Amino acid sequence: MEQVKKRKKSMSLQRQKRLYGILFILPAFIFVFAFMFYPIMYSAFMSLQDYNYVTDASPSFVGFENYKNAFQDPTFRVSMKNTLIYSSIYFISVMVISLFLALTLFNVKKFNAFFRTSIFIPIVVPLSLASIVFTWILQENIGLLNYFLGDILGLEQLTRGWLTEGKTAMGSIIGVGLWATIGFVTILFLGGLQSISPDILEAAEVDGATGWKKIFYVILPNLREAYILTGIWAIIQALKVFVEPMVMTHGGPGTSTLVMYQEIYFTAFTRFEMGYASAMAYILGIITLVFSLINFHINRSREDI
Amino acid sequence: MKKWFWVVVLYVVLATSTVFFLTPFIYALFNSFKSENEIFQVPQSFFPREIIFTNYESILEGHFIDYFMNSVLITVSGVLLIAILSSLAGYAFARLPFKGSHIILVALLLVITLPIAVFLIPMYLLEDSLGLLNTRLGLILPNVAVGLPFSIFIMRAAFIGIPKEIEESAQIDGCGIFQTWWRIMLPMARNGLITVIIFSFYVIWGEYTMAKVLATDQIAMPLTVGLTLLKGEAWALGTLSAVITLSMLPPIIIFILFQKQVVEGLSQGSIKG
Repeated sequence: MEQVKKRKKSMSLQRQKRLYGILFILPAFIFVFAFMFYPIMYSAFMSLQDYNYVTDASPSFVGFENYKNAFQDPTFRVSMKNTLIYSSIYFISVMVISLFLALTLFNVKKFNAFFRTSIFIPIVVPLSLASIVFTWILQENIGLLNYFLGDILGLEQLTRGWLTEGKTAMGSIIGVGLWATIGFVTILFLGGLQSISPDILEAAEVDGATGWKKIFYVILPNLREAYILTGIWAIIQALKVFVEPMVMTHGGPGTSTLVMYQEIYFTAFTRFEMGYASAMAYILGIITLVFSLINFHINRSREDI
Repeated sequence: MKKWFWVVVLYVVLATSTVFFLTPFIYALFNSFKSENEIFQVPQSFFPREIIFTNYESILEGHFIDYFMNSVLITVSGVLLIAILSSLAGYAFARLPFKGSHIILVALLLVITLPIAVFLIPMYLLEDSLGLLNTRLGLILPNVAVGLPFSIFIMRAAFIGIPKEIEESAQIDGCGIFQTWWRIMLPMARNGLITVIIFSFYVIWGEYTMAKVLATDQIAMPLTVGLTLLKGEAWALGTLSAVITLSMLPPIIIFILFQKQVVEGLSQGSIKG
């Protein structure tokens, strides 16, 4: 009798817990549903429609026409190419430089906190404001970089309008992207380095692995988890590049720094082709997802060996 | 001898990168104290020759105050809402599971990786139909939504880390579920909560993309978007430097005060997220 009562009580507690669980999640869920879950579905629907928000009264179904058009659209193709260029250079640079900086920080004791702070700080400030400052730094006549190269180092031949020439404009945008994010990736790598057990490092030294050998045969292979973490983060970060070209070059000169994200923005919010832009956004979303999965898979299968 | 050489190399590397990372801040700071003439002088001087404060005074004119107020109000309300909603939901995901809660959790994990571009068009159409475009509320709501998934994961981790016995003894003492959460569990999860607050502050204070789309009237713009409109106008350089300096100060101060928390929280969060 006593037991039955107890069970009844715990049953009702269980039920109460479920009820409260739903109640506790509900407010957050409404937000996420309205601005994320529902938009994902609505975008999918919209990407199959022809719909100009200004001129069309209502969307009309066109199937996969938007996707087909996107891949044949010269401007969108340029933006894809630029995003690919940006992403690959950014990805390789951010991984290599951050790993290098993390290894450096790992071996330095004096002023370590100061160096770490100054490397990390860019990620906490608004990127669009930092981009404005970089626009000045890279400006042809009054810019700090040209002043440094020309007037201080005496390398006049290197000075130029960094943001007004196609190739250096792309380079500059990659540079600002690196400036903003290297600190974060470095900290993640540093976390990875600190989590390598000291026993492994000691054993390696006993076996005669020192200096470069220790780095290449012991430390780097032991950072697998850090590679997955930083790799996924860097890819997603690279593919969604938007702020720097928007603020610094507006995609120019010409279309030399026009990235996918921007082309989506312009199509949707200056030309108001909502259906077409939704298809483009979906293409970007799918590419992001695929790269994340590939990276995850590579690192996982390596672990199995 | 050889070791000594390598130590010098390491420090040179670090010092060079420090210069690279800090120069933009120092440049903006120094420019904010220069007169227009000095800023446009060729060749320029990196250090201000004489320090003037007129740039800071002229912030009071123009739209700067509007931008600033918009940023402050959007950020404060957004952070508050995220803190409350994510600690409720995080607790439920950690301790009050129900049928389907796991699926929601996985869905949240998936949306984190997607670029905001995928959500922007429906957001815009939704807000236009509700009359929320160019309003502060219209920026607070999507910022909260986008910040929630990550924050929920941090709060969930914080609650999972608390021993179950504490909760059970609270319930034996007659605490209801809401009471247990508010009086006992939330104070114990405060480290997670601080991380969420700092993190969402950074994200919302620096948010550009949604603001660019959803606030097209100057009066409704936050700093991140409003200031970029002035970048091309030469006259504004000194004043703009002053505003940028002021806008970058809050996140930097918070970072220096809570450095350990930020670094640990962010790397932890990105592991779980």
